[in-house]
Amino acid sequence: MSKLLIVDDESDIREFAKSFFKKRGIDVFTAGCGKEALESADNDAPELILLDITMPDMSGVEVLKTLRERGNDVKVIMVTGIENEETVNEANSWGIRGYIHKPLILEELEKIVLAELNGS
Amino acid sequence: MTYFALSNLVIIATNLPMAIFLFLNSQRKSAGERLAFLCIAAVVWGLGSFQYSTAKSADDAIRWWQVANVGSIFSTVFFYYFIVRFLNLHKPKLNFVINFFVCLSLFLNFFVPGTFIGEVRFVFEQMYYLYWPIDQFSVYLAYYIGFFFILLFYSFYLLVQNYLQAVMARKQQMKYLLLGMATGFIGCHACFVPVFGFDIYPYLNILIAFYTIPIGYAIAKYRFLDTSFVLTRGGIFLCVYTLVLGVPVWIGFRLLGSGVWLVPVLIMAIFATIGPFIYLFIQKRAEDALLTEQRQYQATLRQASLGMGQIKDLKRLLNLIVHVVTRAVKIENCKIFLRHEDSSRYVMKAMKGVSSGKGGYNYLDFDSPLVKYFKQMKEPLVYEEIKQRLYDSGGAGLHEIEQTLRRMGAALVVPSFIEQKLIAIISLGKKRSGKMYSHDDLAVFSILANQSALAIENAQFYEDMQRTHVQLLKAEKMATVGTMADGLSHQINNRLHAMGFIAGDLIDTIQFGKKKNGISDDSKEILNELEVGLNRIQENVKHGGEIVGGLLRYTRKGEQGFTAVEFGKLLDSAFEMAQFKIKVNLLEVERHFDGKLPDIKGNFTQLQEVFFNLIDNAYDAMMQRKEELAEEGYQPKLDIFARQVGQKMEILIQDNGMGVKESDMHKLFTPFFTTKATSEKGTGLGLYVIRQIIEDNHGGKVNFSSKYKIGSETQLILPLAVETLG
Repeated sequence: MSKLLIVDDESDIREFAKSFFKKRGIDVFTAGCGKEALESADNDAPELILLDITMPDMSGVEVLKTLRERGNDVKVIMVTGIENEETVNEANSWGIRGYIHKPLILEELEKIVLAELNGS
Repeated sequence: MTYFALSNLVIIATNLPMAIFLFLNSQRKSAGERLAFLCIAAVVWGLGSFQYSTAKSADDAIRWWQVANVGSIFSTVFFYYFIVRFLNLHKPKLNFVINFFVCLSLFLNFFVPGTFIGEVRFVFEQMYYLYWPIDQFSVYLAYYIGFFFILLFYSFYLLVQNYLQAVMARKQQMKYLLLGMATGFIGCHACFVPVFGFDIYPYLNILIAFYTIPIGYAIAKYRFLDTSFVLTRGGIFLCVYTLVLGVPVWIGFRLLGSGVWLVPVLIMAIFATIGPFIYLFIQKRAEDALLTEQRQYQATLRQASLGMGQIKDLKRLLNLIVHVVTRAVKIENCKIFLRHEDSSRYVMKAMKGVSSGKGGYNYLDFDSPLVKYFKQMKEPLVYEEIKQRLYDSGGAGLHEIEQTLRRMGAALVVPSFIEQKLIAIISLGKKRSGKMYSHDDLAVFSILANQSALAIENAQFYEDMQRTHVQLLKAEKMATVGTMADGLSHQINNRLHAMGFIAGDLIDTIQFGKKKNGISDDSKEILNELEVGLNRIQENVKHGGEIVGGLLRYTRKGEQGFTAVEFGKLLDSAFEMAQFKIKVNLLEVERHFDGKLPDIKGNFTQLQEVFFNLIDNAYDAMMQRKEELAEEGYQPKLDIFARQVGQKMEILIQDNGMGVKESDMHKLFTPFFTTKATSEKGTGLGLYVIRQIIEDNHGGKVNFSSKYKIGSETQLILPLAVETLG
């Protein structure tokens, strides 16, 4: 079963995305902050992480950076809101599959996520 | 020397300089020139009279009487000619008759003894005087009565007749003329009394010396004070100096006889010493009495002038000026026309009282004759003076000025200068008393006007400063909004994102549910409806996201580097941004370029800002035209051209909006200048920012051209991303 980690500080997003992807037979983990995200990445070994950039404790880019520094080359899709290109470029340099802009319709997200998970 | 001889010297001494002055200052064939001839005639009379009054023999005296006669013949004739010219009359037939008589009398005077020149007799124990006893017929007497007297009275008749019809300044002027002429001719004819056998000493001969004073005054100056004022001055002057000079001489000759000079000289010295003081004292008293009212309001105006600088509110200041002037001087109306650069006009900003002018001007164009006149002359203009000059010379250009003043209902217009800049024009109506504006008035109004100019500029500066302050605040507010927008957008985006997910998941659930067996048709119907609604929510989320993104791009000045920018996309995003501010669908937008354009080298966000501003400006201009001109069938149209020119891209944005007045063109790229109808609409930063982005940041070029009420065109030259070959 494919494993997906959804990192977002919005519980509504985590909850509904989880419900949505679970129905597609995906094992969904969620994290509400950077610290949780890193823990889950270590413990649950997801194949794909949907990583929100703006979070209260640490930014998505920092999470990504930490992961890479720890030698974790898990696939990451950055979820950007209003962040400027510089942030995106920085994330890019740490190796990401791509980024999506909020707000995104689930249907579209589904296509992207499924493509990534099946491709592996 | 006798009194009579002395009086003749005085005649020469006053008339000769007057003649020279008039010759130098008059045009050919003008009234002034004819008056100069009259003065010359008086000089001839003075010369002849001096000589015969000091002649030792009867023969000498007769010869000089011939000369004196020439003076008297011509003085009458030139007086007539002067009056005719002055009154603009044309009497060619009469001229012929007069010229004939002049020639005849000169002929008789010199060549026919016993007609003009006959016997002389020794009179007053001092001189040989012409003698044509009144009880015997003589050609001279017939001439004197039949020609001189009649012509003289005819001249006076013309003058008086016109005087009665004249108004204002001209009336004043004619008053002086009448006064002067009467003085001169009383003096002149007093000298003929002894000729006809009445032994009355010709004391009044001296009047011929002074008649020129009021006349010269009236000729040289058209605008006038109160006659009473000059009369008083002149009268006092005459009285005092007749006393100072006359009394000692009279005493010397009449009482003590020649030789005993001590007493008269002493008396003269005393009088001469105290004379001027008495004169000044009496003059001041008299003027004070005459001009109390005038002095009072002049003081009020001076005081008002001083206080004006304290007022910072322009409207209040202008109202104060018109109010004070109207109240203090008691005039019918007062208006202030203020320089308005934007419309190239002087616009009436304050008014008090009722204007007698027809139609009444509310503005004066910069190139109107009156404004031009002020720029040249820089001094107050009296309506009557213009009318007078028009009357005298029919001068070109004056006609329009006269008309302007009449329409303004102005009796006096005072320019208000700061250095070379005409700040304002103050228009004053007639005085309620009907009196003329005096020289003193003009001086006071000039001071008032110049103080006003300073105060007005002061107030304008203050207002400008406040306006700039407001605009700065606005710009600052914009910046704050920009910063806030960042945080706000993030929050809104997250909400939208969550809502989208919730809706998406619910749709998903419904779709799963529908596939299950055993669901009734009714339930399916309900699920379908729910699905439609949730889909709507998703659409709204998407659209909301676009709005937030656009807003963000708008508030965020591009901080990224330069990339290859596709013009079509750039334009799309600019329109996308613009739709949050304007109703894009009101415009007909036509793009005159195809997809083969090379990319521009630029900063997307900055360029987006530029095109957003251009679209915004064009939109405002077109809406302004739509509202202000309200033309039937007007369709706002925006044409966008783009083409490659060498290694550059040339972009033209054309609108058919209101356009910009030529007078405003030079200010367009100044920060905080806005032509937009209300300052609410624009911050006045648009074009300034555009120029900075295009020229400073991109090394491009911006040109702006516009025709008022036709439209504007902005040309942008931008570098290409990749240098193309060829």
